[in-house]
Amino acid sequence: MLKTQELTLNLGPHHPSTHGVFRCVLNLDGEYITKAVNHTGYLHRGLEKLAESRTYTQFIPYNGRLDYCSGMLNELTYVTAVEKLMGITEEIPERAEYIRVIMSEVQRLANHAIYFASMALDTAGATAWFYGFRDREKCLDLIEMASGQRMMPNYMRIGGVSDDLDENWFKLLKELVDYMPSAVDEYEGILTGNEIFQARTVGVGPVSKEMALDYGITGPNARASGIDTDLRRDEPYSVYDRFKFNVPVRKNGDSFDRVMIRIDEMRESIKIIEQAMKDVPEGPIMAKVPKVLKPPVGEVYHRIENAKGHLGFHLVSDGSTKPYRNHIYSPCFVNLGIFPEMAEGLHLMDAVVALASVDIVLGEVDR
Amino acid sequence: MFGRGLIKGLGITLGHLFEKKITEQYPEERPVLPARFKGSFTLKVPKCIACGLCANTCPNSVIKIESEKDENNKKKLTGYKMMAERCLYCGFCVEACPTKALMWNHDYERAKFSREEVNLDLFGSYVPSPEDDQPAKSAKEDEESAQAS
Repeated sequence: MLKTQELTLNLGPHHPSTHGVFRCVLNLDGEYITKAVNHTGYLHRGLEKLAESRTYTQFIPYNGRLDYCSGMLNELTYVTAVEKLMGITEEIPERAEYIRVIMSEVQRLANHAIYFASMALDTAGATAWFYGFRDREKCLDLIEMASGQRMMPNYMRIGGVSDDLDENWFKLLKELVDYMPSAVDEYEGILTGNEIFQARTVGVGPVSKEMALDYGITGPNARASGIDTDLRRDEPYSVYDRFKFNVPVRKNGDSFDRVMIRIDEMRESIKIIEQAMKDVPEGPIMAKVPKVLKPPVGEVYHRIENAKGHLGFHLVSDGSTKPYRNHIYSPCFVNLGIFPEMAEGLHLMDAVVALASVDIVLGEVDR
Repeated sequence: MFGRGLIKGLGITLGHLFEKKITEQYPEERPVLPARFKGSFTLKVPKCIACGLCANTCPNSVIKIESEKDENNKKKLTGYKMMAERCLYCGFCVEACPTKALMWNHDYERAKFSREEVNLDLFGSYVPSPEDDQPAKSAKEDEESAQAS
């Protein structure tokens, strides 16, 4: 009989399939994981502390550095939180609200495209990777046209948006909306319909409904486990209550369902953009907001449905121009917490797939 | 039938094989950039009134302005440095500029060998142009002429 012993292995911090600088210490019995421990903090920049030394407006560009795959959505969360703190939520012009919705859905498409691409790459499907990035680039081109930057847009402002969009932009958006359904069909044809991909993902890292609730999982990951929740429908912010869209829910909660839920969501996002671009009203894009913002003393917690789950900002104001405290509730950090339990008993290569299917961005995990 | 999905996927890639290439051969092919693209900064020195709004609005205190008062007790710019190594490229400075003296340009190849080279001296590197002698237009007129062209 051969004498065997458990092996301790560091997955990361520089491993490409950890999607950033995330370290996971794995105890391996052969190729099976007996224990996994998360170690985060390699990308910690102290954004919450930085916010305390900057004015409310000056913190907006830092939101793009949180989750760098969905900058617009982070900015939207932050500016709506500040607007709630100041009590000017009702004063935002209609056009700005519609532009915000369109931008956040375009960003959601880009985020899910990059998710699909990295999922393909982690299951060794390099061809499908390029399909995801091709479409992400189309979405980012639109964001770049509007804001000037691809990933750190700094487009949302407290009280509206920074620049207006012209007809040419909407024409390009129409092209994207007409094109995207065929691209999503392609995703399903090339990756999720593929038997090899299904063999790698179906039944891998299942998260039951109870487990998802215990860990506080939100967003697409929760919906993949059968929890019917979507803040866009349940607590409508901006003008989301005016659009008709379905909230896709799946039952099994395995890696395959977590991929499919994103594919379904992309179709819903396209629907929302189609409805929004049809009735964008003309008008101003900025509410009348004082140059120097001094929100009243108090605190506010505001959350929206980010591409990865509930992103929330808890802002405490002491009446000065700078926030007293800015706490960021990040969906990636919460969703990553489930990984140790998910990885237990999994094959090493399946653990990589399970981690990829959770969709983490380390910029937001460590903040 | 097992393998049907696999064949369908191969069909999709085969279809794309005969399409136009979408990859951009970057150093040879230059990208077409949108007008709002944030590359680097240009400062029209004669337009600048040294008000310091750009330096105030910057989240990272990147901008250092030096000015002196001339005989009419008017502020005159004598130095404009940007510590671009700390710049977030958020564009608040360009937005804050009341005379539109500070602008974005499309110079995106900013990789340098050392930290100091990244920083910009917008006052020292300014090359006077024939437009300088023309009377300064208001921001509204500027917009109109930009739309006309």
